[in-house]
Parts: sequence; structure tokens; C-alpha cells
Amino acid sequence: MLNMAILLFISIPVGFLGALTGLGGASILIPILASFGIPLKVAIASSMVSVIATSSGSASSYVKKGISNIKVAMYLEMFTIIGAILGATITTIIPPVYLYFFFAGFLLTSFLKFRDSYEYIYLYENQDKISNWLELKGSYFDEAKNKVIEYEVKNAILGGIGMFIAGLAAGMLGIGAGAFKVTVQENILRLPPKVSSTTSNFIIGMTALAGTSVYLFSGLLNLSLMAPMAIGTTIGAFIGGKILNRLKDDSLRILFFIIVIFLIGQMLYKGLTLK
Amino acid sequence: MNFLKLKNNEKESKFEKAISYLLIIGVSISILFEIIGLSLFYYYFRHLNISGIGMMFIHGKNFFSFLTKLFRGEYAQNNAILFMTFGITILILTPYLRVLISIIYFAFYRNIKYIIITLFVFIILTISLIMH
Repeated sequence: MLNMAILLFISIPVGFLGALTGLGGASILIPILASFGIPLKVAIASSMVSVIATSSGSASSYVKKGISNIKVAMYLEMFTIIGAILGATITTIIPPVYLYFFFAGFLLTSFLKFRDSYEYIYLYENQDKISNWLELKGSYFDEAKNKVIEYEVKNAILGGIGMFIAGLAAGMLGIGAGAFKVTVQENILRLPPKVSSTTSNFIIGMTALAGTSVYLFSGLLNLSLMAPMAIGTTIGAFIGGKILNRLKDDSLRILFFIIVIFLIGQMLYKGLTLK
Repeated sequence: MNFLKLKNNEKESKFEKAISYLLIIGVSISILFEIIGLSLFYYYFRHLNISGIGMMFIHGKNFFSFLTKLFRGEYAQNNAILFMTFGITILILTPYLRVLISIIYFAFYRNIKYIIITLFVFIILTISLIMH
């Protein structure tokens, strides 16, 4: 039988794994809560609050280091918050059975981020007018390469549309949708990977706030779920963030695949057997 | 030219630090409140069951009327619930305040484009917190 103490202790390794694999705590916790018989909509809405905690906690260190790009984040947040508000509103009105399948389907997009890592050239002679007008560029000090990397953003409008979809899924499913956001930022907006993942973390907190604002008074935010999840995932994510650099990429990838496949199976099973 | 660029970077870095501290302080206070709330919950009820009863759900007309009631102590039937509710409220307010600080920052440097963009985010969030 799940209680708050057990949920807190489950949330610590979940936050840890979420930080290591980039999945985020909520994507893993929601199927676990569902398997314990917590109504899916309550699980989704309550997890959204823990997304604010983990993303704000880890974003703080990246912002301090100057890797996140605040202008890019602010611009993209316009799109993600509208998506999140719309997504959360959809969740409050549709039958829960669809949400199991949407959740399983969206988890598949987590695999998108595993593309070949090739060296981008981050400065262009032909940055599009809108990205240029929006001052979407920046620089950061790359510790691994021991040099300052300057970059310019491309395709601001298309990237904005991509982020609207990310926000829609995040609000609807109570997750950060980090992998999807990173994919849009790296492949469409052409941000360097480090800037992309740290800026995405920054945006996730705001997207989660927009989703939470819809769930706040829908009668779905349960304190006995939110409190232990917020504590546990934040502690876990903090530890995960500290040891992330010490782990080998290959072992992380295997772990990631096993978890995602398990979660997809779990949600499909619950959706198909729901009475 | 380089001097100007350096000065600009310094300003940006101060702003980034301010945001960073706001985030870490907000999350830390919130987590502390949740820990106190959970401990008090066990002290009062002698169990830590996940409960679907009404008092465990956040309720109210909208976020701002909820805040007023919270500070007036209208949710204070039980200190454990009060602490947990405060913790969640602080967590929700953290990114909201972050947008507010960003507006002030862009207004200070008279960056009209980003004042408008940040205001847009702030207004949409405020509307979604009001409209319920």
C-alpha cells in the first residue's frame, strides 16, 4: 500500500534516474502512481508541481554558470506556456483512457534525442531576419573544450511552433517534455547541446507553472502526493546532477532504453485493461 | 568596444546570479515547508496515508483569492496542511517571480522587444492564474 513515506523514498531514486537519463522525474513517477491505483488525472496534475521543483533546482546552477540563454528562454516560453495551458485544459476534460495512450506515444519521442553528435558551426552568415531581430545569440565558456563558444539561433518561428507542441504535451501529460524540447532546440533552432539542455531546463519550470495554473483549482492537486514527490524528486535530481559527469554514456543509454520501454509497456497495459 | 562588451557581460552575469538565487531560495524554502508539513502530519494523525479527502486538495476560486485566504489563515484548520499548502504556493510563485524580475531587468536596460515578450509571458500566466 502506497503512503507518503514510501512515495517520498520512491521519488528519490526516480528523481535521480530522471536527472541521469534526462527523462525528468515526472515521466517515471506518473506510471508508478498509476500502477498503485492513483487516478491518472490526479497523478498528472500533482506531478506537474514536482516538475517545477526539480527544474528550478537544477536550472539555478546552470543559470549561474551563464550557460542558459535567458533571451532564448523568454522567447520560447511564449509558445510553451500557451501550449501547456491548452494541454492541461484538454486533460481536465477528456476521458482518462486516452491519456494512457498519449503518454505512451509521447514517451517514444524521448528516443529522438539520440542522434549522432556532430560538430555544428554555430555562427552563420545568413541568420534569418526574425532570429536576428530577436537578438537570439550568445556565448558561453565550454569547460571541456576550454574555449568560449559563440552561437546564433536559426529558424525562430519554426522553433516556436515546435516549442508550442512541447508545451502542449507537457501540460497535457504532467511532464517536463525535456527530450522533445532539446530536440527542437538543437535541430531546428541550432543551439549548441549544452546551451540547449540547460535552457530547456529553465523553460520547463515555466511550462510546468502554466500547466499547474490550470490544474490548481480543478480539484486534482493532492497535497499528500505533491509534498513527498516534490521533496523526493528534488533530492534525487540534486544527487543525480552531481554524479552525472562521472558516468559513462553507454551505461546511461542502456538504462534509459530499459526505463522508457518499461514505462511505455506499463502505460499501454494500464490503458488497455482500464475498465 | 571590448570594454563595453565586458561591462555588458558583467551586468548580464549579475542578473543571471539574481535569478539563480531566487530559484534556489524558492525551491529550498518550499522543500523545507513540505518536510515540516509532512512531519506535523504524522505528529497529528499518526499515519502518512495518501488521502483523497477534500482537505488534501488545493481549492479556491482563483490563485490570488486563494493566496489572500491563505495569508488570512482561513486554511489553518490544521498546521500540517497549512505548511504543505504554503510550500506548494512558494514553489508556484518561484517561476512567477522570476518572470517579474526579468521584466524589471529588461525595463532597466530599456530593451523594448524583451519587455514586450516578458510582459506577454507574465500577462498570460497571470490570466491563467486568475481565470477559474
